[in-house]
Amino acid sequence: MRFLKLFLIFSFLFSSITFSNEIEIKDELGRVVKIKENVERIISLQPEITRIIVAIGCGGKLVGKDYFVHKHDHIFYSIFPEGKTLPLVSRSGADINLEFIIKLNPDIIFVSPTDSWMVDKIEKYSKIPVLALSSMGSFEKLKEEMKLMGVITRKSERVSELINYFESKIKFLEGRVSVEEKKPRVYLSFWSSLIRTPVHYEPVNIAGGINVAEGLSPSYEGTVGTVVSIEKIIKWNPDIILIHGNYPPEERTITVESVLSDKRLGSLGAIKKKKVYYTFGFWFWWDPAEVLFETVYLSKLFHPSRFSDIDIVKEGKEIFKKFYNESRTFELLFKRLKCNEWKIK
Amino acid sequence: MNGKSNKRIKIGFLLIIILPVLVSIISLLIGSYPISFKDVLKTFLSIFSSAGLKEIPEVYRDIILKIRLPRIILALTVGASLSVSGASLQALFRNPLVNEYILGISSGAAFGASLSIVFFGKGFPVELASFIFAFIAFYSVLFIAKGTGSDVISLLLTGVIVTAFFTSLLTMVEFLANPYSLQSLFFWLMGSFSLAGWKEVLYSLPFMFIGMTFLFLYRWKMNVLSLGDEEAKALGLNVKLEKLLIMIATTIATSSAISATGIIGWVGLIIPHISRMIFGVDNRKVIPASAFIGATFLLLADDFSRGITSFEIPVGIFTSIIGIPFFIYFLKKSGKLWA
Amino acid sequence: MKVKVRELFFSYPNFTLKVKDLNFESSKITSIVGPNGAGKSTFLKCLCMINTGWKGAVLINGEDLYGMKGSKRAQIIGYVPQEQNLIFNFSIIDFVLMGRTPYLNLLSKPSKKDLEMAEEALKFVGIKDYKGRGILELSSGERRLVLIARTIVQEPEILLMDEPTSFLDPKHEIEIMELIKSLSAKMGKTVILTLHNLDLAIKYSDNLVFMKEGDIVGSGRTQEVLSEEILEKVYDIKMKIVEINGHRVILR
Repeated sequence: MRFLKLFLIFSFLFSSITFSNEIEIKDELGRVVKIKENVERIISLQPEITRIIVAIGCGGKLVGKDYFVHKHDHIFYSIFPEGKTLPLVSRSGADINLEFIIKLNPDIIFVSPTDSWMVDKIEKYSKIPVLALSSMGSFEKLKEEMKLMGVITRKSERVSELINYFESKIKFLEGRVSVEEKKPRVYLSFWSSLIRTPVHYEPVNIAGGINVAEGLSPSYEGTVGTVVSIEKIIKWNPDIILIHGNYPPEERTITVESVLSDKRLGSLGAIKKKKVYYTFGFWFWWDPAEVLFETVYLSKLFHPSRFSDIDIVKEGKEIFKKFYNESRTFELLFKRLKCNEWKIK
Repeated sequence: MNGKSNKRIKIGFLLIIILPVLVSIISLLIGSYPISFKDVLKTFLSIFSSAGLKEIPEVYRDIILKIRLPRIILALTVGASLSVSGASLQALFRNPLVNEYILGISSGAAFGASLSIVFFGKGFPVELASFIFAFIAFYSVLFIAKGTGSDVISLLLTGVIVTAFFTSLLTMVEFLANPYSLQSLFFWLMGSFSLAGWKEVLYSLPFMFIGMTFLFLYRWKMNVLSLGDEEAKALGLNVKLEKLLIMIATTIATSSAISATGIIGWVGLIIPHISRMIFGVDNRKVIPASAFIGATFLLLADDFSRGITSFEIPVGIFTSIIGIPFFIYFLKKSGKLWA
Repeated sequence: MKVKVRELFFSYPNFTLKVKDLNFESSKITSIVGPNGAGKSTFLKCLCMINTGWKGAVLINGEDLYGMKGSKRAQIIGYVPQEQNLIFNFSIIDFVLMGRTPYLNLLSKPSKKDLEMAEEALKFVGIKDYKGRGILELSSGERRLVLIARTIVQEPEILLMDEPTSFLDPKHEIEIMELIKSLSAKMGKTVILTLHNLDLAIKYSDNLVFMKEGDIVGSGRTQEVLSEEILEKVYDIKMKIVEINGHRVILR
């Protein structure tokens, strides 16, 4: 009897160790990919995914880093100092060191849907599963990503914790905003151009605004941006213009000042009332903490009377502490982007 | 084909001068923001008299005078500039397949402009870096091809090599650029008029006009140069100097166009051919004709690119769609091209 | 217009042109003859500055050719090439008009007077129906005539012609030579030719210059300088000079 018990225990343990389940995921490029349920070695060439992995405490599973988090990410090394020792697997947006990646033997590779060529290249030379994932400007998708990360790293509990926090904050904002009858119409000037705009940017929607470009087709598959024209912007006559503020101030050409002084836009109400502000915007997709904070910020911006009791800086620190266990990073970001000039009270 | 009657030529010229004016008027009506013809006219006339100023909504004035008008002017001038340059290069190199792209001028200009955008910032005039590198690229092609006899094959091959070189330099610039500059660079490289405003017009127009004026004045000498170096020398021309001056003028005209709007291809190749098909090979007619026909052509292409779809297709795509079949057609007809 | 050549020295890989002392008589026809590679065309091209970088002096009525401004030189010296590589099919009249280039500055274009001169020149060389035809549509003989017409409107005192009879059939050869003769006789031009055809050279030239391997072997009046010795020296084969009906003919 005792022998049978032991046998059952062993075989149960044995099966759970050797039998890894496979999940089927459909990525943003429409590809259906089978991945192991439990991964130990991850390469993420998609900074949004990288952030999530760090936020859920699995930064240790990363075996390489891409050029973006190394060179252009304002806060990556602050939230994940260990990242400094990770080897670099790409040097620019147009170049991945495929041999090196294969040598690192990852269980899975994440890429941005805007880099479909990376998918082709990796699939051509290796059997490592590649997923092209991104939130594409939607919170639903962001949450799905987080859930997926939770499943494959066995950190579902932590993910649930973060998602609950996220959702409760969103609910809070929506609650206050829904009372408002008038929703401001908002135009987003992103990606260093007056005429490039995202066709879907959920923070604006949650914060009780209307993205005037909502519903337009993106320029090509895998991206969320499109190109409009100045006449179109004038035709829309938005109440508020938001400018992509994730670029450090010294690098921005499209600035609040340049837009306010653009003679072609002089007839717009937003210009006349000086309702031109910075917001964060994508920074090669999202950082979950940053985008949550952005939603709070926009809510207060669109409906100041409803959120007069909210201290933005305090909120930001709290959010970042929840995701990354410290709020120093938030201060770093705030300083880097000179958010104190953004009229945040 | 050559003894075209004077009358026919005069009518032809009248037509090609009226055409850009007509197309410009139509272009003023095209755009996302609907404005009636009457209102367009009123707005336009309000430039000259401040009488009707108050009636016209501010937004109409902004759209007509600050968005559409500069864009139209830029499209006309760039079209003329690229066409005149193309015609001049074809006379200079005695070959109808030559154009600014093949000779490396375009990629040199693009590299110079991108270098300026990415590294020198807003303070530095894009046109200057654009011109310098366009000239370097052009000169390199000539220098390298010189030993091999400057017949068209060696010229084309050398052009391909130099173009590839500057394109890879451009890639290097992209590699080193920060994400912000990179975004604006990509956008610019596509070749479009979508951000054209009075600023772009004022910065690039003078140079295009300087280049075009010079080439216009030189149109007779281009005839002589197209006979060949020896005969041109025998007729008293300082061939080396004249060629250099024409090179500089075409580079100014082309690079200032490119620095304003990015690379727009094929215009310099096909418009001179159309001019020759109508007016014959005499550059006294081909140069001005190319200017007018080129202006109309590019303006029409731009109208299409912003009028057809809700989002803007870069105008360079239209000129390619029309230009490439033309190119193939000319290639096949090569022998009788200049009849 | 007297042309004096002193110590002309021009070299390029595997060839050196040396002309020590040579005069071309004014208003006369001088033919430069010699075997292939003697440097006849090269010499001619030096005289109209197509070849540059030569050393020495060429004096046109006492004035140094080298320092002369291009347009001025082209008003004095006209050049008719042997071959052309024409690409563009210019109309015949436009083609001839290009001969007026030395008289045009940047801002001026051919005038009515220039046009009349072009028409006159075409008449002189015997091209009648040129309207509506392009230069590429002509036979080589006609094209040669048009070239001469173009050179005429340059109003040069000196005419240089490189193998004006090449690629022509006998009838047209004679036509061209008669035309050249009248250019010298009627218009008083100093004509310097290179000729392959010795018989034509003898028949039509007042003076001959013999060249071989870049050197002047002999020069002078046709009757005086022509001899079987100099022919053998220049052409490396024995030839016989025979007189038929008052004309001297070369037998090989």
